[in-house]
Amino acid sequence: MIESFTLTTGFGAWNALFWVIAFVIAFIIGWLIWLRGEKVYDTSKGSTAPFLSGIAEPDKKEVHIRAGNLYWGYNDALSGYYKFVKPFHTGNLSDYFLAYLLVTAIVLIVVVVLK
Amino acid sequence: MSSFLITLAGVVLVTIFGIVAGLFLMGVDRIFAARMQMRQGPPLIQPFIDIRKLLCKDSVVPENAVPTLFNAAPIVAFASAVTVLFYLPLGSILPVGTPLPMVGEYGDLILIMYLLTVPALAMVAGGFASGSPYASVGAQREMVTMIAYEFPLAIAIIAIAWRLAVAGIAMPFSVNTLAANPIWTVAGPLGIIGCILLLIVLIWVTPAELSRVPCDTPEAETELCGGLLVEYSGRNLALFSLSMAAKLVAMAGLSVLLFLPWNLSPLIGLTGIGAAGVDLVFFLLKVIVVMFFSVSLVRVIMARFRINTLVSIYWGWLTTIGLIGMLLIILDGTISIGGCL
Repeated sequence: MIESFTLTTGFGAWNALFWVIAFVIAFIIGWLIWLRGEKVYDTSKGSTAPFLSGIAEPDKKEVHIRAGNLYWGYNDALSGYYKFVKPFHTGNLSDYFLAYLLVTAIVLIVVVVLK
Repeated sequence: MSSFLITLAGVVLVTIFGIVAGLFLMGVDRIFAARMQMRQGPPLIQPFIDIRKLLCKDSVVPENAVPTLFNAAPIVAFASAVTVLFYLPLGSILPVGTPLPMVGEYGDLILIMYLLTVPALAMVAGGFASGSPYASVGAQREMVTMIAYEFPLAIAIIAIAWRLAVAGIAMPFSVNTLAANPIWTVAGPLGIIGCILLLIVLIWVTPAELSRVPCDTPEAETELCGGLLVEYSGRNLALFSLSMAAKLVAMAGLSVLLFLPWNLSPLIGLTGIGAAGVDLVFFLLKVIVVMFFSVSLVRVIMARFRINTLVSIYWGWLTTIGLIGMLLIILDGTISIGGCL
């Protein structure tokens, strides 16, 4: 029955139904292992407070990671690239259209040369 | 109906194999690392003891946490890591469902590539659900790490599948195709050099996928006290450890599938269950070799990357090496079909 849900592309195949069934079985096995663990925990002596190496928890607004900082490592590593491409984003539609034409021309030249 | 039951049995057996083999590999890794540092190291069964111990410990849910998501994330991470194993051949034991009559494949390399991201996404969700500043920074780093290693990994997989397709082999992304047609036997001299470069790329992607040194920036004990796992303890931490163990088998198994898919049984003339057993042991040996070079050796000789350095290395150096490897494979494929650039 599962086989009829297999999508074969000629390059590969995948069956969403099998994935769902397999995931559910693996989830149940994981859940059974999880159930065997200790269920109760001590809530006294501040054990449920966030661990901050003994420092009192600052106000949540102070430690909140803003969306702009979410990909800091990525943005910082590619800062040279961003520095290069930012000036091109002038907000002028004619500039964007010119860039589009330029890239299309390069792609067409490459395709013709490769042919 | 019987084929369905056999498939279900296969799923359960592979799950158990993933847990046992993963914890065994973690034990081997710890012994390798200890020996290289002139230490005795823990016993081989230490990861099993650790899981048992964690299941006996309190599993504290922090007061700032979102309890449902906090508790669900480790189970989802475990289930998704184990699911990858259903699509990988274990020696001559083909992926779940494949050996049954009239049953096709259930997944290919593209699916495996996507599934490998799910455990990491579950860890990110768990980290943000912890309500801890350390865990939030760790989750943020995990997301950036994922972006960093996905591109080189995709280059390696697509280049190899493309070369198989050029050789006229049907279903090039199929794991069974890759297992039956080792890339080394298909590629010419240029392609082989390209494959060596892609192997180097995959060896470096493995520690990033597993968040191991030098790519353990999301956990970073000395800076973030465990990062996205800082608030996890007891059974939740046990499930995350099991998911990492299963992912270790999956990543090393993927490298074996792409670059070392040979089996021992055809050489010694074995068939049936004996062949499956011998090939499974041989598969584990290959996995240990891959793990030694991509995890144990690397984590002993290197220190942790900063998160921006990690992105620079993966998007800069490794992507460039991968693209050169891919270009060589394209040249090799073009020459093989008598074409010219």
